[in-house]
Order: sequence, then C-alpha cells, then structure tokens
Amino acid sequence: MNGGFFSKTVFKEKPMQARGRCWKFGDNIPTDRIVRTDLVFRPFSEILKHVLETCNPEFPLKVKPGEIVVAGKHFGQSSGRAIAAKALKQTGIGCVIAESFARTFYRNGFEIGMPALECPGITAQVSDGDILLVEIDSGRIVNETTGRELQARPTPPFLLDMLKAGGLIPMAERLAGEG
Amino acid sequence: MIEKILARASGRKTVTPGEVVVANVDCLLLHDLSGYLTGRVFEREVRRPMRYPERVVMIFDHHFCPPTEEGARILQENRSFARRWGINLFDCGNGNTHHVGVQNGFIRPGTVVVGSDSHTPVHGTLGCFATGIGNDSHAGTVMPFGKAWFKVPDAIQVRLSGTHKRGATPRDAALWLTGTIGEGGAIYKALEFAGPYVEQLDFWDRWLFPLIVVDLGAKCGYIEPDEKTLSFVRSVTDKPFDVLKGDPQRAFEAVWEWDLSDLEPQVACPPTVGNVKPVTAVLGAPVQWSELGGHGGGRIEDFRLAAQILTGRRVHPDLRFNLVPSSRAVFRQAVREGLVEKLHEAGATWFPPSTGSNQAYNMGAMTAEEAMISTHARNFPGRNGSPEAKMYLASALTVAASAVAGAIADPRQYL
Repeated sequence: MNGGFFSKTVFKEKPMQARGRCWKFGDNIPTDRIVRTDLVFRPFSEILKHVLETCNPEFPLKVKPGEIVVAGKHFGQSSGRAIAAKALKQTGIGCVIAESFARTFYRNGFEIGMPALECPGITAQVSDGDILLVEIDSGRIVNETTGRELQARPTPPFLLDMLKAGGLIPMAERLAGEG
Repeated sequence: MIEKILARASGRKTVTPGEVVVANVDCLLLHDLSGYLTGRVFEREVRRPMRYPERVVMIFDHHFCPPTEEGARILQENRSFARRWGINLFDCGNGNTHHVGVQNGFIRPGTVVVGSDSHTPVHGTLGCFATGIGNDSHAGTVMPFGKAWFKVPDAIQVRLSGTHKRGATPRDAALWLTGTIGEGGAIYKALEFAGPYVEQLDFWDRWLFPLIVVDLGAKCGYIEPDEKTLSFVRSVTDKPFDVLKGDPQRAFEAVWEWDLSDLEPQVACPPTVGNVKPVTAVLGAPVQWSELGGHGGGRIEDFRLAAQILTGRRVHPDLRFNLVPSSRAVFRQAVREGLVEKLHEAGATWFPPSTGSNQAYNMGAMTAEEAMISTHARNFPGRNGSPEAKMYLASALTVAASAVAGAIADPRQYL
C-alpha cells in the first residue's frame, strides 16, 4: 500500500447522536486547563479526577457518560497534544459543542473519535444543566429544557467518516488494508 | 504560497481553500513530551514500520537533565524509540525544539513541516507550510505513510510598516498584534506577514511573527522568502531546496494593515496571551522570577538586549534572572561576544540550552504567590507549578529592566 489512504471514504453506519446534561464553559479555554501539564503522563484514572477542574471543580466529580460539553470561542487552545481531547473522551461525554475551536483540538477530536461541533451562538441559547439532544451527522441540536432548536455548522463528510471508522488510525488502517 | 506548497506536496496542479488534501510531509519535529506520547500511539496502535525515519527529528527540550525518575524513564523510552526506528535524536542540552530543527538544517523553504508542538507554525518564517498536528496524525499517518491530511486554509495578509521608537522591539510588536487580532481572531487561516516593517527585519526577528499565529487560532503563518531568508537557510544547510512564492496579484480574504511607529513596550498579562497591555499599565507589578528563553526567547538578540540594560547595573537581590539559550549555537555566540560573563557578573544565572521554564518540567515551578516575567510564548494557568502562579510575557528589554527593578519596569527608563 503506497500511502493512498483516504482515496475512498466508505464507512456507512447508523447516524450518531448524544443526549444529556450540558456542562457550560467560557471562551479561550486552553488545553492546559483541560489537562494540567504536570498530569500529562499520569494514568487516565488520575487525569480524569482533574479534567477541567480549574474551570469547574464539579465537572470531573460529576460528569456522566453521554453528557455534553458546551464552550465559548476558541476552545482547546494552547498545546496541540491529543491528551486533552483523549481525557475529555475518557470522561464518556458524547460530544463537545463550541462557538469555535482551536484547530488542533478540533482535529484531535475527530482523530481520536470524539465529535466536535461548531455552533456559533450556542452559548446564548443554553444554560449549564440544560438537557441537549445532538445529532452529530446533521448538526441539529435540540435544547430539551427550553424547547429551542439550533443548527451547528456542517461537519465535513471526511471527518464524519473518520468518526464512524473510530478515528484516524483505524480509518487509515482500514483504507490501507483495502489498498 | 501555502496553496502552491500544498498542491505540490499532494500531487495536484492547484488546491482551493476548504478542500481536504493528503500531502507528503518533509519534516516531523517531536519534542521529549509529545514525542513520547506519539511514540506510544505509534507502537501500540499502528504496528507498521516508520516509512521515512530520516524526516523525523526528536529533540529533548523540556528536559535538560531529568529531575524525577518519571522524567528519566520518559527520556530513556524516547532514546530507545529513536534507536529502534532510526530517527534523528537531539538529546538533553541541545536547545529548544524549533531552534534546533532550524539550526540543523531540517527546515527548508517550500516544504511541509509538521510538529507535535503547537508553535510549529513558526517555521513559516522560512517560507514553509508548517503547522502543529496531534499525536494521532503523527503516529497514524506521518510515521507509517509519510503523509498527513490538511484542510487548505484561506489566507489573510498582515501588512506592517513603521520604525520603532526607543524601548520597543519586534517582540513588542508581536505581543501587540496578539492582543489586537485577539486569541482566536484568525481561526483556521493562513497569515502572511508582509510590508516594509517585516522586510527590514533580520531572520530571528521575523521569527517572532509566525510564532504567534497559533494563539490567534490560525493554521499557519509565513513570510515570503527573500534574499535574507535564503542566505540564512544556506548558512545552516547545503541540502537543496526549491522556493515557492505566492503570485504577486494573489487575492487575500482580507488585508490587515498597521503602522507600528508609535508602539510602546507591551506585556501579555495573566491569565492569557491575548491580555496584552502597554508596560505602563502594569508598572511595579511584583515578580520574583525573570527569564530569557522559550520558543520566542533565548536568541542571541535577546541576550544582547539584556546586556544593554544590565551594563553598569545588577539583578535585584529579591529576584532571580534565568538565561536559557535556545541552542548551543546561541550559547557559543554569547561566549564569543562576552555576554556570558557580563550577564553572569550582573547576577543572572545561565541554564543549559533547552526550552527553559516552558511547562516547568525541568525548572520554572512557582507557588501561588509567585510571578515571572519572561520571553516565553505562553502564560496560561497550570503551566508553571501552582495554577495561581502568574506569568507575564514581554520583550528581552522589558524582562531585563524588570530584573533590575525587582518588579515590572519600563525599559525606556534604563536605556
């Protein structure tokens, strides 16, 4: 195989969605506050006790699988290491929605199989604790607490395929295997 | 220029902004921390051979001598990884990842450069397409296939003009632009730095501009290569390269123009890089540490500026002044110019070439009550010991003036 991965994108599985409580954060949250730099090499069991704790100490204690992180502008700035996205994924959250992302965080999210949706205006439309239903493929977001509907920016099909493959590595592997 | 580089690297005639392309990667720069994370992903999850080991460079820069067993273990595993796959390794004491990559000729105009460090776009100073990508891209596609995926960015031109007044430096201009464009002010864009101000700068002062683009949210930053760029590249490598330049009549999504003539010395205040104020707004703020080092400092230019301030003066007794050369070449030059002795005698402390207090792996931890002023590139909480410790970012002149005063000071009072 000569590096021709991504020549075909053929992953067709059922549409992805997330539903749960929303945890709301502010603008410009750096990866250093998602995972403190002195914890980067620790096991996930330890990192998970501290994810985003300096932004909201309750988050690492109370977050449950399927819940949703909503953030302001430029979420995940600073270091480009994937550990920040991996730690958030390990909490079990269903997706991250932000006004906008730092591009390395956005890229890392899809590469490790965690959806990141860009939805300008989201922070004005949801409050911490609201219940959200999020359709990843279409970008439709329903705030079940208020009844309002929002539309995220469309995710490039290439990245949706990456999610359905389980991330970049399995995607490259499957496509490489198919020659 | 970026579109031309990406088109050539992906085997196409042209590419359009927004399009996703898979491009050949010419250089992958790893440092000791994310290189370790990348190595683990590569060996545990990918299970393919390294396709182009000669294009992969690992530089130990967060450590110059590991202070903990955990650090020692990480470095040992990195050394084994480098030997196992035959990649280039620069061990402790060589300097900052980006400076070492450039000084050793791994970065050449017209190429695609990726790195695990988010400041990798700095290599756009040499006329590259350079950007930071994550561990899984390195491990999953660059190492086994020599490729990576990129969305082609729209370009914005930043045109700068003017001549600085006394006390203001290119670093102040870069800090001011970070505050003015704002964190996330250019998300996903390619930023071209141009104009008479940029043209008259020497290579290592130009370096300070593509360095900031990551904090603006941009994908890459670059300066069109000119004679200064090419003579610099020829001074560090005799490997061939093929320059690509943008068309003179190329269209930009926007052109932002500023005249920097009236710029005052600037300080990025905690807790974010975009919280930039004139130094006069923070005069007297207490600092216990000062440092020249990091991605944006530790250049020979920084030590020369500090020496201007410290001539006939001493470091304040209540404050420590750390000097961290960005490479061995810089330290050698500082020895030759007599700067090592001069700054040592003034009370500053030299540290081994490295990335210094960047993330406090080898130095630079602070308590909640302490603060530092430095030439580093980042000041977010949680990077230097206590999350409540404060980091201010400034030019070498302002850092040195503050080191003399024992609190944040205006360098114009010392020139």
